[in-house]
Amino acid sequence: MSTTATAKEDSKQIWMGGQSPFKASYGKMMMWYFLINDTFTFASFLLAYGAIRYTNLEIWPKPSDVFKSVPIKLWGLDEMNLPLVFVSFMTFTLIISSVTMVRAVQEGFQMNKKGVIKWLIPTIIGGLVFLGCQYLEWTHLIEEGMRLTFCPFGVNPHTAGDPVSFGALFFLITGFHGCHVLVGVILNIWLLYNTSTGVFERRGHYEMVEKIGLFWHFVDLVWVFVFLCFYLL
Amino acid sequence: MAHEPMSPEEYKHHVRDVYKTTIILSIITVVEVAIALVYEFIGIRQHGFPHLPLSIFVIAASLVKAYWIMSVFMHIKHEKTAFTLSIMLPFLFLIWAIIAFLWEGHYWNLYHHWFFNI
Repeated sequence: MSTTATAKEDSKQIWMGGQSPFKASYGKMMMWYFLINDTFTFASFLLAYGAIRYTNLEIWPKPSDVFKSVPIKLWGLDEMNLPLVFVSFMTFTLIISSVTMVRAVQEGFQMNKKGVIKWLIPTIIGGLVFLGCQYLEWTHLIEEGMRLTFCPFGVNPHTAGDPVSFGALFFLITGFHGCHVLVGVILNIWLLYNTSTGVFERRGHYEMVEKIGLFWHFVDLVWVFVFLCFYLL
Repeated sequence: MAHEPMSPEEYKHHVRDVYKTTIILSIITVVEVAIALVYEFIGIRQHGFPHLPLSIFVIAASLVKAYWIMSVFMHIKHEKTAFTLSIMLPFLFLIWAIIAFLWEGHYWNLYHHWFFNI
């Protein structure tokens, strides 16, 4: 507990009962419990994906056949056969932005305003790069004919466009995750603004950086499992 | 809860931990993708190897990544034990749910011809 907090801050921080459960702050604990909730949401989506995919295993396209191009119109990259390369780059981007977020949280613990700003900026850039890559990936697949109810990559499909659920599962699950990334980026921009105008300096602690950091790491973790289910398994 | 500023050695130690974890995560990702691609293009497509070993390896690698991200980046290792447990124990229920649904899904895969016209 910060020793520079005011008496009012103190009573808020100890939940007005004299002691906070687990000696944790209310905001951090509630963020963790929200993340557990969100984990179950994503887990149910990925379970639905698993069940539908394994029911239709004979006609389900191989991921390394569908996701085999880098959709950047430079140096003929979008013509080459580079399976899973682009999506691995996206994974790295999110991991690195997670690392810069941890550094921002650590600078926050040291009450180092300049350090927090220095590390929040690459985090925001990483999030925006990821969103840009996801946009390129989506537009490329839509160009190749994929829709919510039509999959042009089916293996010996009973009818053209089978498996029908491929598009919906892909776009809706990666879209749901992309929305979380977007919310995270917006929160980080708000955090950067508040940090640079000195809100947390005056408050006496950078706990908000830690809480939004938890959300950002959750987004990264979800991507690890979405990447696993859609591209590796 | 705000932490008091750490001593310079503690701070350096924590920063080093973060970079060490970054390298671990990057190596695991690279190895994961490389093995997945090599196993698929050479093992499965050319020699007809089974899918199962690859699936197990790739799931295990992702769980290892999740462990490193949660314990070091999200700091859960350093919270009070009871709080950590209150977060980790619900995940045991989640794992039970995953196993149960995959089991059911496999049953559905085998027998859906019997019940429906699909």
